[in-house]
Amino acid sequence: MSRLLSRRLVLAAVPLTIALAASGCGAGDPSAKGGEKQLRVGVTVYDMSSFISQGQEGMNAFAKANNIQLLWNSAGGDVSAQASQVDQLINQKVDVIIIVPVQADSLGPQMAAAKAAHIPVIAVNTALADTGSLTSSVLPDDVAAGAQEMEMMAKKLNGKGNIVILQGPLGSSPELDRTKGIMQTLQKYPDIKVLAKDTANWKRDEAVNKTKNWLSGFGDQLNGIVSENDDMGLGALQALSEAKKSLPIVGIDGIQDGLDAVKNGTFIGSSLQHGRVEMAAGLAVAQMVAKGESVKKSYTYTMPAITPENVDQYYKNVVSDKDTFLRRLPELIAKNLASGDIANEQ
Amino acid sequence: MTSTTPTMEQLPPVDAPAPHRRRRLDRTSLLNFVIRNSMVLVLILVMAYFSYRSIRFATPENARTILVAAAPFALVALGQTFVILTGGIDLSIGSVIAASAMTSASVVVHNPGSIWLGVVAGVAVGLVLGLINGLVVSRLNVAPFVATLGTMTAGSGIAYVIGHGAPINGLPSGWGKIANTTVFGVQIPVLMMIAGVIVAYLVLRRTSFGLRVYAVGGNRTAAEVAGVRTRRILTSVYVISGGLAGLSGVVLSSRVISGPPNLGAGYELDAIAAVVIGGASLLGGRGSVWGTLLGLLLIQTLNNGLDILVVPAYWQDVISGVLIVAAVAVDGWATNRRSS
Repeated sequence: MSRLLSRRLVLAAVPLTIALAASGCGAGDPSAKGGEKQLRVGVTVYDMSSFISQGQEGMNAFAKANNIQLLWNSAGGDVSAQASQVDQLINQKVDVIIIVPVQADSLGPQMAAAKAAHIPVIAVNTALADTGSLTSSVLPDDVAAGAQEMEMMAKKLNGKGNIVILQGPLGSSPELDRTKGIMQTLQKYPDIKVLAKDTANWKRDEAVNKTKNWLSGFGDQLNGIVSENDDMGLGALQALSEAKKSLPIVGIDGIQDGLDAVKNGTFIGSSLQHGRVEMAAGLAVAQMVAKGESVKKSYTYTMPAITPENVDQYYKNVVSDKDTFLRRLPELIAKNLASGDIANEQ
Repeated sequence: MTSTTPTMEQLPPVDAPAPHRRRRLDRTSLLNFVIRNSMVLVLILVMAYFSYRSIRFATPENARTILVAAAPFALVALGQTFVILTGGIDLSIGSVIAASAMTSASVVVHNPGSIWLGVVAGVAVGLVLGLINGLVVSRLNVAPFVATLGTMTAGSGIAYVIGHGAPINGLPSGWGKIANTTVFGVQIPVLMMIAGVIVAYLVLRRTSFGLRVYAVGGNRTAAEVAGVRTRRILTSVYVISGGLAGLSGVVLSSRVISGPPNLGAGYELDAIAAVVIGGASLLGGRGSVWGTLLGLLLIQTLNNGLDILVVPAYWQDVISGVLIVAAVAVDGWATNRRSS
């Protein structure tokens, strides 16, 4: 009910700015290593979410292998904190700035300042509206992810049945895109009816109650639950178990508990948004820019489909054997950028 | 005592005027009756509307759905009732829930065998944060709004520190047993809520401690003159609120078998809303467990019924907000009328 207000209150009261200077090779003298000048890349992320902490691991691994110094900042979900972090990075004269934006239509003045200082800017994970000042961007295809999960559900239901959709925070760009993908796919399946769609704000505890209310309301008419992320899907799973029902659920993101759910068959599938791969790719693009190599205007991270057949391999990369994965990550990223398939994990 | 924990089946009879009243149905006595029970009537009207709109609303399963959703809110709303009765406010509830849940989750993920250790750790974190609130308010004389705002900020930070900025995943399935075990067909959180309501009612109505809580909220100086150790009372209400928030965090974390660092965000405002709808004064000295319970049930019934009617979330916010203010306005009008 009063979530929004409380969020405002938190943000106003707490510009929780965790400024972490996480450098891949220690904050040593830049010129210490070899003859080549060490690259300094400034990073500002929207907040320390689980996706970002994964991404930080991936970027650190890539930085270590490529002699890059990372200047790491987290904006704590605050647009103005992110703006001042970008200003600081410009003052520090970093070679490239990587922004994982809090909000798409923000940072206009900062981008102009970076351009004036001849510092290239790369957006990762969320688009920035001011594309003119962007050198390149690495973005997940959320529309495709929405389409992919809806396709999985449609197959499971043989193209016929009633579903509900758990959405992200209404109006946020991943929610808009994932919903768009779901709706586009639904046009191919006229016999699938959406009984209700509403937000549970990416949260498990909200999704449990929302789904239980829907289960009360729709009873046995309901055939499947499409969730725009794994957390809400897991909340729906809990609601089903409390109601002693079993229905197919599909999610997005490939978080640990989500992958577990695919493994034990309680999710029919998910789509993997692997922070380590996506954000390390962003850093690799930054490196290419700094070296003066030509880069594409935009790179698309197309989330791999997680199915019961392939989940074990991804589970190793994300959870059980992630250290091995991080060791081979720098090589993988270089290969991916050459091939253009930046989500590849083979 | 069952009257303090109404289920939907038990509530409606209140609607009908009591039989002895039939001898002379004069306007004043009827009006007085309506005024005295205005919140019960609002709740009944809301329930009647939902039952009319959907045959799926008034079912035993849906009653259980509402009660399970209400339970974690009920625990924190009871704690908030104690605090508000003393004229204070506890803004830290949401963050205490998060810090407790994250502590429990991290304890359990490292010791999958000892579920109870997780419960104890979670509640302990709540008690400690509550004690800090209480001491800062009572000993350092910091305004409750400011003191608990500080704890709210720090508590949220602690929750993120524990999880290294990320949710804790991969908890053992045994952790889910706390919230998901049913006893006599009722989930444990609901039993906790019922027990909590009964205990809180008895403490506030039947013990000298309860009397002193009201006294401190009514007039702190007068209470002090009368020999009440006001600092102790003040400290203890925040400890109660913190402990219950800790328990609520454990329940929520167990229910979804995970430790999200943003768990409970905004719960403090729902708890305050429930207490205020229940007729409590933010200035202290006025309010009751019964009122809080009504306020809580009104909010939860709205959340449930509006979902069943498939009202979009943003409209739900609008409707809830308007109803909260309307409910309090009606109550304020009724109180003025009663006293005049």
